[in-house]
Amino acid sequence: MPSRRVYLDNSATTPVDPRVAAAMARAVVENFGNASSVHGFGQQARAVVDQARREIAALVGAKQNEIVFTSGGTEANNLAIRGLSEAATSHGRHIVTSSIEHPSVAGVCADMEKRGWEVIRLPVYQNGIVRVEDVAAAVRPETVLITIMMANNEIGTIQPVAEIGALVRERRAAGQRHLWFHTDAVQAAGRLRLNVDEIGCDLLTMSAHKLYAPKGIGALYVRRGVRLHGQNVGGHQERERRAGTENVPGIVAFGEAAKLAREEFEQRSVHDRELRDRFEAAVTRRIPDIVMNGDRERRLGHLSNISFRFIEGEGLLINLDLEGVAVSTGSACSSGTLEPSPVIRALGVNDETARGSIRFSFGKDNTEDEVEYVVNVLVGAVERLRALSPLTPLAGVVSR
Amino acid sequence: MPYSSIFKEHLAHPRNAGELAEANAVADETNPICGDRLRLSLLVMDDRIEAVRYLAYGCPPTLVCGSVLTELISGKTTEEAKQLTRADLLDAIGGLPSRKHHAASLAIETLHSALQNL
Repeated sequence: MPSRRVYLDNSATTPVDPRVAAAMARAVVENFGNASSVHGFGQQARAVVDQARREIAALVGAKQNEIVFTSGGTEANNLAIRGLSEAATSHGRHIVTSSIEHPSVAGVCADMEKRGWEVIRLPVYQNGIVRVEDVAAAVRPETVLITIMMANNEIGTIQPVAEIGALVRERRAAGQRHLWFHTDAVQAAGRLRLNVDEIGCDLLTMSAHKLYAPKGIGALYVRRGVRLHGQNVGGHQERERRAGTENVPGIVAFGEAAKLAREEFEQRSVHDRELRDRFEAAVTRRIPDIVMNGDRERRLGHLSNISFRFIEGEGLLINLDLEGVAVSTGSACSSGTLEPSPVIRALGVNDETARGSIRFSFGKDNTEDEVEYVVNVLVGAVERLRALSPLTPLAGVVSR
Repeated sequence: MPYSSIFKEHLAHPRNAGELAEANAVADETNPICGDRLRLSLLVMDDRIEAVRYLAYGCPPTLVCGSVLTELISGKTTEEAKQLTRADLLDAIGGLPSRKHHAASLAIETLHSALQNL
């Protein structure tokens, strides 16, 4: 075990805030009732679920009854895409999405394709952002759903969701009434100020564990009047959208985390961005031959995705891990097959750049001192791996 | 399976990294599927491997297999080196998940190529 540990993988998941854990622990013990029960125990559980629902609705400018709890972001994305498409079958079987969606969206779209839906995957350009004119050109009379993420999970680029929302409104006004817009906001919720009316989306996905709450709880915003075909059936919970006894402690934790995210929005945003910018400035100064992936401006403030030329991301990741630094890479090599990150590839970069990409994601608990430590460790690890790489110009020629 | 302590040690401190200026047997092999690459340079005198250096690009098992291989063959006769198998290398590393065995195959193939190029 290394002597020091620094967690820079806050886009994968966040540490649970002790205040969130305390609220959850209280709910486990004090609100054990089934929220669907008529008696006092049940009503007590119902009250804390409703309170949490209000907090989560407030985080995205929604109404309380527009929030459906799920087991997490993946289930919310499944419910949104499958649920909407299946409910809208009579109006069309055409979905428009992007080529950089999270697997929980991309996978569902691929499955819908196998089941007879047509899916258009829009490109992103070198900046990692979808163009609204491409969306406009892809929408057909039989398109029922546009699903494009709010902010990308690997490079943090913020997509033009409000412009897409406006496009959907325009098309509806022109008579295409059966067109809906879903956005996966798992990375963005709590990190960008969100308002579902300003975005103009009908469905929006959130996940608690990206907001300093535990895993196992997420939510889907469903605009009033939007019909979904339930994916979990066999109960009346969540207005027939998601059957199953409510995860009361998880919901309470999510509610507390959403409340804190709103209250501390400004200080968290400034803190994360300052650390990220300090990190990028130091890396740029001290490490040559790097490529910053994704748009420099339109991106989340807590995230940095950098390709280190001549070396491969996984080797760097494990070298950093040996020194206690946790980061992530989108590329994976298994069974002799290389799978460079599809997101980085979608930026149009070559294989080597895609393979050398690392995501550093900062959070509210990181410190300036940690940034300094990580930069020092990173400089050493990159030098070591480059000295070893046959791709590095003039790599280590030695005499015996 | 988690990586062994030997594996981590070699990844953090690769042995015999670089390119040997006086090499008389060199091979550079690439795994055509994943693009991992290994370059070996050997100095062979009187049928014995007197010095060895390696360069590697790819996933951590490829980097580590190169490093461990250089230790295994250093000072060996060419005949002894030719006898070395993928299983020997995997044993010396402390094992690898089966999906990563291709890294050991690349290392052994590069060794055989280098010895053929002598």
